[in-house]
Amino acid sequence: MKVAKLAGKLADPASAEWGSVDAVRVSLAPVALEAQPTEYIREAWKDRDYGQTAEAAVKAATDGERLYIRVEWADDPAPNREFQDAVGAVFPTNGSGVLATLGDDDKPLALWFWENGRPGPLNLRSHGPGVFRKEDSSALAATGALADGRWSVVLSGPASIAAKGKVGLAVWNGSNDERAGLAAVSREWLPLESE
Amino acid sequence: MAATTETRVRQLAWVYDLNKCIGCQTCSVACKVLWTRDEGEKHQWWMSVNTMPGLGTPKGWEEMGGGFDTATGKPIPGHQPTREEFGGGFDFNYHEVFYGGTGGKAHLEPQAPRENRWAMNWDEDQGAGEWPNSYYFYMPRMCNHCTNPVCMTACPTGALSKDENGLVLRDEEVCMGDRFCMEACPYKKIYFNYERHVGQQCIGCFPRIEAGVAPACVRQCPGRAVFIGYLDDENSPVHRLVKEWKVALPLHAEAGTGPNVFYVPPLSPYRLKEDMSIDYETPRIPPEYLESLFGPGVHSALALLKSEMEKVRNGGSSEMLTTLIAYKWQELLGPFTVDPATLTPNGSKGA
Repeated sequence: MKVAKLAGKLADPASAEWGSVDAVRVSLAPVALEAQPTEYIREAWKDRDYGQTAEAAVKAATDGERLYIRVEWADDPAPNREFQDAVGAVFPTNGSGVLATLGDDDKPLALWFWENGRPGPLNLRSHGPGVFRKEDSSALAATGALADGRWSVVLSGPASIAAKGKVGLAVWNGSNDERAGLAAVSREWLPLESE
Repeated sequence: MAATTETRVRQLAWVYDLNKCIGCQTCSVACKVLWTRDEGEKHQWWMSVNTMPGLGTPKGWEEMGGGFDTATGKPIPGHQPTREEFGGGFDFNYHEVFYGGTGGKAHLEPQAPRENRWAMNWDEDQGAGEWPNSYYFYMPRMCNHCTNPVCMTACPTGALSKDENGLVLRDEEVCMGDRFCMEACPYKKIYFNYERHVGQQCIGCFPRIEAGVAPACVRQCPGRAVFIGYLDDENSPVHRLVKEWKVALPLHAEAGTGPNVFYVPPLSPYRLKEDMSIDYETPRIPPEYLESLFGPGVHSALALLKSEMEKVRNGGSSEMLTTLIAYKWQELLGPFTVDPATLTPNGSKGA
């Protein structure tokens, strides 16, 4: 995926600048039930589907200082009861890491996390599905918008993260009570290539 | 020989004497004013007194699942209680009543649709049964600081742990607000802070415990109905009531979490027959209902209470009843007898 060099209001998912950037369609798959970190979660979800958001469209851009990842996906029109829709941009921290499980203890992943209704994004270190540790999030920003049945969210942080070379995605459908490791995750890493 | 260090984990326990609880909610309010007055905590009552039988709070909590299957050891999926099911926290029409110029025609009422109205004591004093044999009793409820806390094992981030006093505590910095703990808890005593996106529950007043002060629910109880102490302290009323006399019983022990809040079950008057004569064979609170709460040990506990009372009526003495009466208020407080008024703001003892 090319990281477009742009200027302008990239933090706004509705900004016209994003119109010039090609979207990459990303296929998503649920994190495996067996990988879920607690027996309670495995028992509670063994007969229930999750991670069914099949596809997202992603764009990447940089203004030289920040990396912007714009993710768009179809919202589940069912009402949100207790949980909200969320999205994450995932990066390696230690060479590579297992994207399908959102990392593990040996190779945790960096997770920029946006959730509808939270005051700001979270900067998480992901040691596995839902095994998240909060880190300083002051360098991150995120904006989400729901229009015409689709979520568009831009997550951004220091451009230096692009040196990790690849990005993954995770989507949580709040209407289906998805949170923690109950996510749809991109099947493969997307390379981040400078334009 | 190398020196070894070992952290001894003890277990604090509470005993509520349901024959002395008058349902005044002083424990609830003492807890509320101390711990849950910040943002997102309006609906939170870490301590609350339910009228039993009743739906309580959250509404219908006994039917919400959670806990362990004691046959397989597997956790049982549960329902995550909603803010509406906990109830309360709604606003009232104060402005209309006090400043609206309605001349007393407007009355205070919650600003919520009637069908959605619920609060932590919404069904207070309703109980069950038909006159003249209607019945109810009060049951204070809090986090059970379980020996085998299913909330802790359900959490994917490891936000919950047991401290050196056996209290189940949450690291709010680690909590992601995933709420599996709320589903898994069979007592449904964990709340979600929608403003701060973290779970919250009774902390056993651990800062008071560390300063030698009894928890607010214990110290403020005007009925002398609640004891605190270490379960392994053989001189503690808690140990004697739970382990020695077995007259204080856990609630819904079948949930398999090893709760550490115990209850002395309620005695009740005898039923009245249709001709209004007394049926000396049948207590008004159905024993099978009490068994559904406190297990089969409730029958021997009630029998022991009755026989000890009979002994005293006949001029004898009963160490167990003397303990339950708690002539000396400080006996309720276990080792936590420090007067909080003597503490300085940083928690140390004042001069």
